[in-house]
Amino acid sequence: MHSHSVSSDDSRATVEQYVKWIQVLRKRGHTVDGIVLTEHRKFDFDKDYSDLAGQYDVLVLKGSELDTRYGHFLVYGVTQALTQAMDFSDVHMDARALMQAARRHDAIALPAHPGRFGIGLTDYIAQGESFDDVEIVELLNGGSRKGENERAEELCKSHNLLGIGGSDAHLTSHIATCMTDFKTPIKTENDLVEALLGKEFQPVWLKNVVNGAS
Amino acid sequence: MPYYDEIELGDEIGPVEKVATDEEVANFCDVWGAPKPNRFTDPDVAAKAGMPGTIVPGIMTMAMMAQLLTDWGGPGSIKDLDLVFRQPVPHNRPLTLAATITDLREEDGENLVECDILMTGTEGERYVGGKAIVVVAGR
Amino acid sequence: MAMELEYDRSLYGIEHVAGPFEITDEIIDRANSSTGETGPAFISDAGAKEAGYRGRIAPPTLCCILVRQVSLPDVKVKFGRTQMHAGQRVEPKAPVYAGDRLTASSHLKDVYAKTGRSGTMVFVVWETTFTNQDGQVVAEVQESFAKRE
Repeated sequence: MHSHSVSSDDSRATVEQYVKWIQVLRKRGHTVDGIVLTEHRKFDFDKDYSDLAGQYDVLVLKGSELDTRYGHFLVYGVTQALTQAMDFSDVHMDARALMQAARRHDAIALPAHPGRFGIGLTDYIAQGESFDDVEIVELLNGGSRKGENERAEELCKSHNLLGIGGSDAHLTSHIATCMTDFKTPIKTENDLVEALLGKEFQPVWLKNVVNGAS
Repeated sequence: MPYYDEIELGDEIGPVEKVATDEEVANFCDVWGAPKPNRFTDPDVAAKAGMPGTIVPGIMTMAMMAQLLTDWGGPGSIKDLDLVFRQPVPHNRPLTLAATITDLREEDGENLVECDILMTGTEGERYVGGKAIVVVAGR
Repeated sequence: MAMELEYDRSLYGIEHVAGPFEITDEIIDRANSSTGETGPAFISDAGAKEAGYRGRIAPPTLCCILVRQVSLPDVKVKFGRTQMHAGQRVEPKAPVYAGDRLTASSHLKDVYAKTGRSGTMVFVVWETTFTNQDGQVVAEVQESFAKRE
């Protein structure tokens, strides 16, 4: 649900290396169905990974991770209309405007790593900000430092929020360290948006998913 | 040194543990010609830059990462070493260096081994992370 | 409106040449002793010859140390107070031997903004090519620096 390929400035992994690494994870007995690329501050309309996806039998979907003045937000179901409504490169955009624009354009935006120190939603709420449109956050993040996922968990409990899991991989071998297990089958970005709106999912650690969920 | 056909995806290089002492960092800064005072050897400068203490220069951590690879693949084996300095690296603390092999391919007659490479701390800190491509011999 | 970055865009496309850098035994010795390098080919001619080189070679990251001695022009980014070294990449292309004289040629690659645990940061990326006395490219080095508030 959260990964970066070389299309992001700070990642060193190619999509092909991610899908190859998933074969290694599968050989070790883990169930991993697919990945969502969420490149920083952009959406790659022109990138098509369907050949790789077919060759390695891994679902490869595309989203975005945008910088906002209230931390990073993951966006799923990005459309041309949404990229016209919001400037994806604006690192100080209003997260509330992003969430509303996303819903108007059949997408969904939700806070990434809300427990991250200095830039997570937890800190902005502590400063007195409120975010009425937030119903889901990234509860498990594979790039978290000590205590950050715990802060995300507290936020979910205190504000009655649902959680997804994402690896936040920037390196090949970090893909799928945290994932999201959906009840309904996902084949497209639209399926993903619907499944998130349907609220039937849970975050999982890779180590707990041996021949089990996705 | 390993042969290409012995290596598998998921294999590990290391881990090895290293420590960068105050003295080594001071020597390194002299070789580099770092302007003084600096955040690598002077606690006050480090504090002003918001650091918890003096730190190890990024290029010094890079030299340590390169050693992990050349000790494994040979002195001229590195084709590409690309690192992100993710958080300040402290002096005099155990640093764990390790690489995981993520891709194997033959390109222009060379056997390329690509790996993720990380320097971590005892509390799970990911100090330095990146990618390397190492050339190894066939039989 | 996106954050408008103010900096000296006229630097794009200009090569800044520095050097020559003399690769002496002393420089290699000091670099080795400060990083605990014990690889035989980096220590002596004999060790290097055993590994198939004509003489002692420098460790692959020596150019990353030299690149910090290149005085690059100020990009004049109107942002931030503190500058951190954010990342570095080296692609060794040919051995660097003790006794070589290297020249560096650097150019500005990119300037961009992002946000992270320590707030908004502006990244400045430089690329440098090192060439030896015979005109052979020995290494490509890329460095990125983050300016933060």
